[in-house]
Amino acid sequence: MPKTAVTRITHSCHLIEIGGRTFLTDPWFSTRPGYYQGEPIALSVADLPRLDGVLISHEHYDHCDLEAFAAYRDHSVPLFVAETVVGAARKHGFTNVTALAPWEQAELGGVTITATPAKHGVYEVTFVLRAGSDAVYFAGDTMLIPELFEIPKRLGHISLALLPTNGLHIRPANNMQVVMNADEAAELTAILKPELAVPHHYTFTKGFLGDRLITHSDKNPLHYRDASRDLAPETSVRIVEPGIRIEL
Amino acid sequence: MTNVEVAGIGPVEVSVAEYGSGQPFLLLHGGAGPVSVTGFAEKFAAAHQVRVLVPTHPGFGGTARPEALSSVGGLAALYQGLLDQLELTDVTVIGNSIGGWITAEIALLKSSRVSGIVLIDAVGIEVPGHPVADFFSLTMEQVFQRSFHNPAPFRIDPATLPSAAQAIAAGNRAAIAAYAGSAMADPTLVGRLGTLEIPALVLWGESDGIVDIDYGRAYTAAIPMARFQLLPETGHSPQLETPEQVIDAIWDSAETDFSVFKG
Repeated sequence: MPKTAVTRITHSCHLIEIGGRTFLTDPWFSTRPGYYQGEPIALSVADLPRLDGVLISHEHYDHCDLEAFAAYRDHSVPLFVAETVVGAARKHGFTNVTALAPWEQAELGGVTITATPAKHGVYEVTFVLRAGSDAVYFAGDTMLIPELFEIPKRLGHISLALLPTNGLHIRPANNMQVVMNADEAAELTAILKPELAVPHHYTFTKGFLGDRLITHSDKNPLHYRDASRDLAPETSVRIVEPGIRIEL
Repeated sequence: MTNVEVAGIGPVEVSVAEYGSGQPFLLLHGGAGPVSVTGFAEKFAAAHQVRVLVPTHPGFGGTARPEALSSVGGLAALYQGLLDQLELTDVTVIGNSIGGWITAEIALLKSSRVSGIVLIDAVGIEVPGHPVADFFSLTMEQVFQRSFHNPAPFRIDPATLPSAAQAIAAGNRAAIAAYAGSAMADPTLVGRLGTLEIPALVLWGESDGIVDIDYGRAYTAAIPMARFQLLPETGHSPQLETPEQVIDAIWDSAETDFSVFKG
């Protein structure tokens, strides 16, 4: 059985290897005014390995950079996306696009892809990939919502969880929180009980003035590691630099 | 001097002073020339971990201006080229008066290197009923009266200046005329500002007699993600008159009243 592994590319963009297949999550390969990864982009689109599938949680630019990802060499690569992404994906030339609503499933080469619930500033889904006894949960940049507690009941044991932790707030929108924070991610970790958890979505910055006027977020992933030690001591939390491959 | 290749204009020599290290800022002076911002740059760099770049607009401060460089848009292209050359990202551009107009035009170039702007008593837009004071028709005494809440510490008699300083002042006036004209405004600017997607902090001296407070509010209203803040006991050049207020307004801008945002 091939190893299950994850490589962070940047922000919420990962390569997930499971069941001998390779999936890309939430592509982001460029920058725009006021949108910065805050960390390196470990791979360019040209340097991506052959992908068996791509998961896109929602249409925000920092999760769905189709303009840059359209440079990928194979436009027939299967995309599994929130339904709000379908039109843009086809517009950018991708021909094999499947919308998955929460709890809907698709099969791809021995890997079961299940969309799971989410809550964010816009419609979003998260994803579980399962091959045999291994399962990876990719949480996009969702809030913590009770529906996520159903994941292990419905889909079984999660081995690896990729969780956002920056608790992003949008200041002009009455300081509305749109992403789970470190404590909430630890709470979800305690429910999912994965062997390994890797935080993401914490170095993102709107820039000097944007971080003051538009967004507010926790850029320190150690807060999640410390909270998980208390709430989910059985889970190993690894804070991973972009480009480092971690095996389960 | 730094040499920057500007599309449509050619190579431009620009003098850039640099203060401190850390978070990058580009600080653009107005018609009063680079001396009106260098003291602020020193104070800002002493107070925080910031790298402040202060160019002298070609033609100011006794420097040469290529004939083809004759608009605010040209200066914006020059400074975007400078940021490219220095490979800076997450740059906040700060500009006072005409420097604020240049700042707005830089933001409209939508380079990913620029993440936010600070407009300090900026000119450049047309606001019906609130014209920019005609600098060229004012005496120097009138300019001082209109530029400062309390002009006394800043007042100079141009006639007493050494001839070299008088020549620089004359060069500055010629550069203002070349870049901004006497109207100090571009009728198309206010409409274009509505396309900006980066945040803007608009700071205004409550005693500004060159561009009044309503003009500043109109500037703020034209930018989708702008916040307006009045600076008390301050005129048209806050970075000269009350620099600590300006530094605090920028650094502590998270302490904001979100009701000023639109959309």
